Amino acid sequence: MRAVLEVRDVAKYFGGVKALDGVSLEVPETGLVGLIGPNGSGKTTLFNVVTGFYVPDKGEVLLRESDDLVRIDGLNPNEVFKKGVVRTFQIPRLFNSLTVLENLLVTPLGQRGESLVRALLRGSWSGQERELARKAVELLKMFDMLHYANSKVSELSVAHIKMLETIRGLMTPAKLYLLDEPAAGVDYSTARKLFTYVRKLRDERGLTFLVIEHRLEILMEYVDYVYVLHNGKLLSEGKPQEVVSDPKVVEAYIGA
Amino acid sequence: MIDVVGFVISWLTIFGIYSILSLSLNLESGTAGVTNFGKVVFYGAGAYIAATLTTYLTLILNGVDVTETPPYDVRGIVLLGELGSRNPLMSLGLLVLSLVVAFVIAGALGYLLSYPIIRVGPAFVGFTLLSFGELMRVFLQHYEPVGGNKGLMAIPTPFGWVAESRVREVAYLGLVMGVLATTYVVIHRLVNSPLGRTLRAVRDDEVAALCLGKHVPKIKAKVLFVGSGFAGVAGVLLAYYLTSVNPNMFVPAVTFNVWAMIILGGCGNLKGSLVGAAVVTFVDRVLTFVTPYLGVTVISPDYLRWVIVGLLIVVVLIVNPRGLLPEEPIKTPALEVVSEELGGGSG
Ligand SMILES: Nc1ncnc2c1ncn2[C@@H]1O[C@H](COP(=O)(O)OP(=O)(O)OP(=O)(O)O)[C@@H](O)[C@H]1O
Ligand SMILES: [Mg+2]
Repeated sequence: MRAVLEVRDVAKYFGGVKALDGVSLEVPETGLVGLIGPNGSGKTTLFNVVTGFYVPDKGEVLLRESDDLVRIDGLNPNEVFKKGVVRTFQIPRLFNSLTVLENLLVTPLGQRGESLVRALLRGSWSGQERELARKAVELLKMFDMLHYANSKVSELSVAHIKMLETIRGLMTPAKLYLLDEPAAGVDYSTARKLFTYVRKLRDERGLTFLVIEHRLEILMEYVDYVYVLHNGKLLSEGKPQEVVSDPKVVEAYIGA
Repeated sequence: MIDVVGFVISWLTIFGIYSILSLSLNLESGTAGVTNFGKVVFYGAGAYIAATLTTYLTLILNGVDVTETPPYDVRGIVLLGELGSRNPLMSLGLLVLSLVVAFVIAGALGYLLSYPIIRVGPAFVGFTLLSFGELMRVFLQHYEPVGGNKGLMAIPTPFGWVAESRVREVAYLGLVMGVLATTYVVIHRLVNSPLGRTLRAVRDDEVAALCLGKHVPKIKAKVLFVGSGFAGVAGVLLAYYLTSVNPNMFVPAVTFNVWAMIILGGCGNLKGSLVGAAVVTFVDRVLTFVTPYLGVTVISPDYLRWVIVGLLIVVVLIVNPRGLLPEEPIKTPALEVVSEELGGGSG
């Protein structure tokens, strides 16, 4: 299987803190890959490097573009998004004064009505708008959130906010979805539903995911490969069963 | 006797001009979250563009040599008074020209000024624009071709050829209302579109918007182009209404007056901008009208103006922190799609 994302020997330092210290990993096409590690092991920092928030101090980040892998480190976050990488945030960053529906509709690229002149001509974008709204409705139904469509984000529960972030990302077709703890604060059965849906998207539409998650009991059931970070270094990798029985991983988690 | 009709006409005219400012500020600051403390820059630019174009062209088109008799010169002013009201076509043509040129130049100025905004970050946007306004004022005070400190006077008005003064005032009011209606329709459409949604998203969380591929600096530049363009148009209308411009009309207090309007009316609500403009200009007009009848007063009505507006803001914000009218959801066809689904699901 070809890699969609390749991280090569990436390092990121904050003063004396080595948040990432020479990490290499790969996410294959149509992969559903887990990224785990104790608190402060560098998981979110890795997402930040991949999505253009930070320029790595060392190493390269490559993304598949048809038959080639091209470097994306050093690009701005909006450029990385346009290349096909969508992320969610550990601490949700939704548009709080917008409704749930509006939040979802912000995502898609290439909306005609976002141009200054076309925005004035309703006819030029209303068809596309309806299409996108139907897509939003479909996703909301899938997550049992349709009746919240016209609610403001500020009226939602923590679990719904977390889910909405994931759904918002799914509004656009992408090469790679980076989910930062999508199930944090979400109740057990909803969390399982979320992961079931993610796997379904992978299976049916061939989407690719890299997921950070602390709730290993859920994550391990769904992912097909896991990377373990510890103090900014790759500690272990492999199939879920291999990783959970790796003594180094057990020690890192208990030690931390 | 107080001239009630005259009062209403002058109030509505000033209301119309300020509404254009408050609507455009609401787009920039209420919807898109750009803290524009430099509104007066673009308003002043528009007023000076109208004044300069109209006075110079009136003289030139009437065969006057402006190198010898410039419009700021006493002889120029006298000539303008004589020539300005002769040719209706010329008056109206100059109006249209001023409106177009003011929109484009003020808009372009807004677009260019967004560049330092990107550099300094959101917290300093307001102050960068504020300082620029003061720089512009000082420049105008010393720039001879537009009259320096005295400014330009006897600006020929679009309806100067109408003999009856009441008819002239009403015609001008009609023009102002027409421009206001156009402004409202344009800004209303921009807000209720995918672009409006993106603007609110940028206002709510710039980082998240950036992560969703939005080019935040470009978006802000666009908004400042439109908002400043309309402010320029408002300036044109002011110049013709007062028939004179000078640098001291364009002080930072003008900007804060417009801010008071959108804070009162409700940030993000366009109807609120109209309500805010109506209230603030009403207070202003009443004081202006009443002053001559008061004779000698202990407190100048000018100070009262700020006290009254300040009190109103405090009272409104205590009752409703978001102003009189709250922001409404964006109206696009997406709402219909959802309500069909919701209706179908429950039925
Ligand atoms: N912007 C920053 N400035 C300074 N230090 C940072 C910054 N971002 C992260 N760090 C540090 O880098 C290390 C890795 O942080 P990171 O957020 O990547 O961990 P994480 O694996 O996502 O942890 P968690 O599971 O708690 O989310 C931590 O020690 C953190 O304090
Ligand atoms: Mg983290």
